[in-house]
Amino acid sequence: MRVHSMKRVRGISALAVIWLLVIATTAQTATSRIVGAANAFLSTLDAKQRQSVLFAFDDNEQRARWSNFPVAVVHRGGISLKELSSTQRSAAMALLSSALSRRGYEKIQQIMEGDEVNKLNEANNGPGGNFGPFSRNGGNRSRSDAIFGRDLYYISLLGSPSEKNPWMLQFGGHHLALNITIAGDRGILTPTLTGAQPALYTENGKTVRPLGEESDKALALLNALSDGQRKQAILRYRVADLVLGPGQDGVTIQPEGLRASAMDDRQRSMLLDLEAEWAGIIHESAAAARMAQLKAEMNETWFAWSGPATAAPGSNITAYYRIQGPHLVIEYAPQGLGGDPSMHVHTMYRDPTNDYGRGLTKQ
Amino acid sequence: MKRRVAATAAIVLSMGGLVASAHRLDEYLQATIISVEKDHVQASMRLIPGVAVSSPVIASIDSNGDGFFSEAEQRAYAERVLDDLSVTVDGNRLTPKLASVDFPSIEQMKEGLGEIHIEFTADLQRGGPNRILILENHHQSQNAAYLVNCLVPLDHDIRIVDQTRNEQQSFYQLDYVQSGGPSPSAALQWWTGIRGWADSAGFASLFRLGMRHIAEGTDHLLFLLALLLPSPLIVAGSHWAGFAGVRRSLLRILRIVTAFTLGHSITLALAAWGLIRVPSRPIEVLIAVSILVSSIHALRPLFPGKEAGIATFFGLIHGLAFATTLGHLGLGHWERVAGILAFNLGIETMQLAVVAITMPSLILMSRTRAYSFLRIGGALFAGFASTGWIAERLFGVHNWAGVVVDDVAHHSVWIGGALFLTSVGCWQLRNLLDQRLTTTAPTFDLAKSAPQVSTVGHSRVVAEIE
Repeated sequence: MRVHSMKRVRGISALAVIWLLVIATTAQTATSRIVGAANAFLSTLDAKQRQSVLFAFDDNEQRARWSNFPVAVVHRGGISLKELSSTQRSAAMALLSSALSRRGYEKIQQIMEGDEVNKLNEANNGPGGNFGPFSRNGGNRSRSDAIFGRDLYYISLLGSPSEKNPWMLQFGGHHLALNITIAGDRGILTPTLTGAQPALYTENGKTVRPLGEESDKALALLNALSDGQRKQAILRYRVADLVLGPGQDGVTIQPEGLRASAMDDRQRSMLLDLEAEWAGIIHESAAAARMAQLKAEMNETWFAWSGPATAAPGSNITAYYRIQGPHLVIEYAPQGLGGDPSMHVHTMYRDPTNDYGRGLTKQ
Repeated sequence: MKRRVAATAAIVLSMGGLVASAHRLDEYLQATIISVEKDHVQASMRLIPGVAVSSPVIASIDSNGDGFFSEAEQRAYAERVLDDLSVTVDGNRLTPKLASVDFPSIEQMKEGLGEIHIEFTADLQRGGPNRILILENHHQSQNAAYLVNCLVPLDHDIRIVDQTRNEQQSFYQLDYVQSGGPSPSAALQWWTGIRGWADSAGFASLFRLGMRHIAEGTDHLLFLLALLLPSPLIVAGSHWAGFAGVRRSLLRILRIVTAFTLGHSITLALAAWGLIRVPSRPIEVLIAVSILVSSIHALRPLFPGKEAGIATFFGLIHGLAFATTLGHLGLGHWERVAGILAFNLGIETMQLAVVAITMPSLILMSRTRAYSFLRIGGALFAGFASTGWIAERLFGVHNWAGVVVDDVAHHSVWIGGALFLTSVGCWQLRNLLDQRLTTTAPTFDLAKSAPQVSTVGHSRVVAEIE
């Protein structure tokens, strides 16, 4: 009897030890995972490459060196995927995916893939075919190769990867600028730019809209508003472009449109769900903290719309919209280029009080 | 549009260079962000000519054509931009002074990438607490895409009340309240106390906001107008009959308007104070229902003599809708009292203006047979609009009701004028006919027997009481 129970105790404690080990390995914090992935990436680089990837944490010029433009037009810092070997490249993508949520990483890949489609369109059609404006010599392949495509995304690190001290990971290219500040267990994604052209393409027979949810959820929210609410939400003037695009760090404009305090619970949760399309790009625990903040400030959040209140089924809206709260600016701005604004969009995601984590790091 | 894009693409091709306007080929983006401070206004402008329109801009900056933007050329161009602006505060034109200029290279600009940055400031004269800033931009208006915004004021004594723009944003108006002027003297009169209190809430700005709110809130006006339609008439059984007389009509109109005001003031105050909270969708449905009810009443008397009560009841509902606008302004507790008062007075003034414009026509025309056309036509219009709104607000069925009403409201001045002329015409015609009648037969018998005649039915009624 006694032997029997001793065995049981031993068995249980063995199980407990295994269980603790499993916990210990999986309970690794997001930050330590990202730091591990960053160091792994750096270790694959040679000295010269490392030099071009690394910047000082407070390098304000490098912080702001991002754009919606193609990389040949506005030069980025860091190193492009094109210049990396396949090992280095997968280490870079592993680092990126460690810092992002699954959905966020998928969105980024769809944006990059879209630029690959854009490159092929340019090469096949020549400029003017889809009115692509970036081609010089009749749109031959070598030219568009140098401007578009999934290879032309740059990665850079500001400061050295650390679990305690703040540092930054930047990743971006045409229609993409991720500025991820890691400060202890905090993760900040502002400012971030996403964009898509073409905003709808097919890949392996499947239709892909990298920023489709951003369009659909916003239109659903607009349709869920009552007449009077819509009247307040819809601005009576044209908004031709992003108001707080690249270069407008830390700017807080007077909010306009419909304030969420005048919405019902269902509409407010739709708005929060729409915000999650940006706030949820970063890894889950940072996203959860951010979503909690956005939810708490929901009543001081505004929703404004300018442009057509309809969209062709399955395609993006052609209207501009803005969501603004005490710590939030989201802008969605369709672009006229290419003739069809539903096929080309730029979006901006900011916290004017905390761009590049300045609010946290005081730098 | 397609053709324009194609033409642009052709220009782009002919330029041959690396064409890099990411997005705006044929427009000159001009984005301005204004910040208002106590004694001056500051603004930063970003000017980005699209690739297809950059050559003339480059040529106009590089006036000597040496392929280089010299400092003098940069300043000269920036001054030209400022000359094309008009900045006024409270109607006084300000003189913007260049604070800084920053130009891209000619090459960047050729590619549609160049961003010109201009910052300017303008001194502000001391003024009242309710201030209106107007910025008009006429620079390169043929292909400009303007954006204008203002910063959230850092100074807590400055509060933004409203921003209005035209469709292109070439006209921008900023209503704001600036409190905390020179501290009042020790001999503080009760009047200055009240003034200060009213000013802190932005009395005048909120008054204007109230006026605009009712002018744009077509459903509120439609309700009131539909309710007023039969007010100059007397009831004959289940029908509307002849003219009830000027004094009685006026008294009724006054009663209805006052009752409506009473109703919406109560709920506006309660809701603005946060004492009641009702979701907006049911309120909007009820507002549409209130229009339907009053339009049916205009066809056939539903509640004759009880219009005031109905107006109070529906006023309570309309007031809840007014409150949403006020709730957005984030007024402090104390300021809210003045705020509600100002906003309500603004609503009232606009309402009275509409009544004052339409009432003479109604009273004139109601003395003639033609009035039944107006009454029935108006009632049917209001009925159509309200049914459309109910369908839209209740079931989400989109229809043309709102658009049509907005269109009509847009032309309200013309419609009001036409109505007045028609009513004068009808009245004159009736007088002529009357004169003919008097020459053929004495009318005093008819006048005496008017109440009896009116019971026969409205189609035969031409008699008047006064």
